[in-house]
Amino acid sequence: MPQRDTSLAPAQHVLSVVDLKTHFFTDAGVIKAVNGVTLSVDEGETLAIVGESGSGKSVTGLTVMRLLGRTTAKVVGGSIHFRGRNEENTDLLALSEKAMSRIRGHDIAMIFQDPMSSLNPVFTVGDQVAESLRVHKGLSKRGARLQAIELLRQVGISEPEKRVDAYPHELSGGMRQRVMIAVALACDPRLLIADEPTTALDVTIQAQIIDLLRKLQKELRMALIFVTHDLKLVKQIADHVAVMYASQVVEEGPVDQVLANPRHPYTRALLDCIPSRRDGDGNRRTLKPIPGTMPNPLSPPDGCRFHARCAYAQPECVAIEPELQVVEGKHVTRCIRWQELAL
Amino acid sequence: MSTTEETKALVTVRGLTKHFPVRGASFGKPAQAVRAVEDVSLTVAPGEVLGVVGESGSGKSTVGRLMLRLVEPTAGEVIFDGQNLGALGPTALRKFRRHMQMIFQDPFASLNSRMTVGDALMEPLKLHLGLKGRDAEDQAVALLEKVGLSTDHAKRYPRAFSGGQRQRIAIARALASSPRFIVADEPVSALDVSVQADVLNLMQNLQQELGLALLFISHDLSVVEVITDRVMVLYLGRVMEVARTEDLYDNPAHPYTAALLQAAPGYTGESRQILGGEIPSPIAPPSGCVFRTRCPFAIAECAQTIPILRELSAGHYKACIRDDITL
Repeated sequence: MPQRDTSLAPAQHVLSVVDLKTHFFTDAGVIKAVNGVTLSVDEGETLAIVGESGSGKSVTGLTVMRLLGRTTAKVVGGSIHFRGRNEENTDLLALSEKAMSRIRGHDIAMIFQDPMSSLNPVFTVGDQVAESLRVHKGLSKRGARLQAIELLRQVGISEPEKRVDAYPHELSGGMRQRVMIAVALACDPRLLIADEPTTALDVTIQAQIIDLLRKLQKELRMALIFVTHDLKLVKQIADHVAVMYASQVVEEGPVDQVLANPRHPYTRALLDCIPSRRDGDGNRRTLKPIPGTMPNPLSPPDGCRFHARCAYAQPECVAIEPELQVVEGKHVTRCIRWQELAL
Repeated sequence: MSTTEETKALVTVRGLTKHFPVRGASFGKPAQAVRAVEDVSLTVAPGEVLGVVGESGSGKSTVGRLMLRLVEPTAGEVIFDGQNLGALGPTALRKFRRHMQMIFQDPFASLNSRMTVGDALMEPLKLHLGLKGRDAEDQAVALLEKVGLSTDHAKRYPRAFSGGQRQRIAIARALASSPRFIVADEPVSALDVSVQADVLNLMQNLQQELGLALLFISHDLSVVEVITDRVMVLYLGRVMEVARTEDLYDNPAHPYTAALLQAAPGYTGESRQILGGEIPSPIAPPSGCVFRTRCPFAIAECAQTIPILRELSAGHYKACIRDDITL
């Protein structure tokens, strides 16, 4: 069976993560939170990483940003290559902390789920947008303030001349997330990592933020990594999707192909859990939950990680640890039975 | 609400209003209040699931709490099976609580971490049903089995359970006193989708098996569609629309309902209009229709009078003066 070619020159992508392994060394044992993840994202493209709690999706993002504390977390394998503005290809894992801090917030920016805890409560939002401009772009205090007002306008904050002097607590959740986006975009990053940026927001505000991210990405040609648990959002925002389960990517490919023709039982199962509209006769659709629970990260199962919860598991699924296999083009799956299953 | 609906109802709510006083108002300024719930009337029939949807700050949780008299209303009344809850004294109310229970969003916060699951289940059994010793234990185990857990789970503490399992325990505890009405406030919002589906199925099965009336509060419209018979849409403390679930989702009559449906991530229709702005402050709500400041169809008259909730077709009500718009 054809296996995925990972030898492709990583230099062609904005970000190229190959066989990444991030492990946590805890008192209870080693948690292999990210175990052999390979991903890439190109200019102007959106990659969604989707999975449930504990799948490793957020740790993947944090590893790229090198934001994990050094006490327990360790990258034990793999590489992360980033192609910066000058087209230079950098191995992020090899950079010194100082060199990384120049890239972080400048070339690669990140936004998080909870804007209240990522904004500093004692500085005005204008100061926080301006800080990044002064540090990374060397703007004057005045210049940075004017630029900050412009950025706040760009992310859809009304009356930015007034709001620039507001403190985070004076703004609503949606407004704070807009401010976070302004901070992230301040230096015109090549890559934006958004970790569940709309999960804490109401649907109407979520729709506004998604719309804004799409618009800005189109204008700025950024690469965007969108980490989410919500497959329905994936459809709206992403070009590519990587489905993660128990520290591994189990299926990846163009969104249309993966969602319309999932080739991994876990992707199918996730789709079946989503409540959807009633059928034509007005009957309620019964939800099909995934039986069992996420495997214990301290002792993941042998073979396919999903076998214990999979409706199609066979003895060989326990015996063989599946590799990613090519379905078609860029669509890959980590299931040995993908060809025979009618999912 | 019509009188025929009230005669069939298990719970009837009339003109329910809650204003929370704002603390820290300085001298000389008029006292302000957060108008959380304004003049809400509704009924829940025995065995019926009524969904309550709206954005944060729409008053949906407060409505749930008012219906159980966990907070005292500023005005209005709640009648449960003929009994006006406002007329009950503290002791009588405590006794009455066995008929109506609540399930909360966060199963990590709603269970006492120092109590074994068995003890947590036996507490309401002893308190409300007067069961003792062996009987209470047997009943606690029966409850655990009802929600898909087993006997040996009874001796463990909440920390030993996953989020989904904890929510099952919270459900078992709510069912312990054999209530007829349950308020579930975002019961699956904190759970992963695969677990969420599981807990929803459980709630639906138990609700049908026990003929429970359920007030299901959620911001997630797709979840609400699955489990409810009727849906009430709230905005800034006021009812915007009430209808049977299919009616509401197929033919939303209020611009706010339409906007909510279109904002949901799974929306597939052609005309997608993203609602601008945010929910205004409940301290100073807009005059007239509270939604007018964000409504794409607002006209001058919308600022004049508060629209009444009118019946459009059997059981379908909306509070909007405009009938000349296509949503």
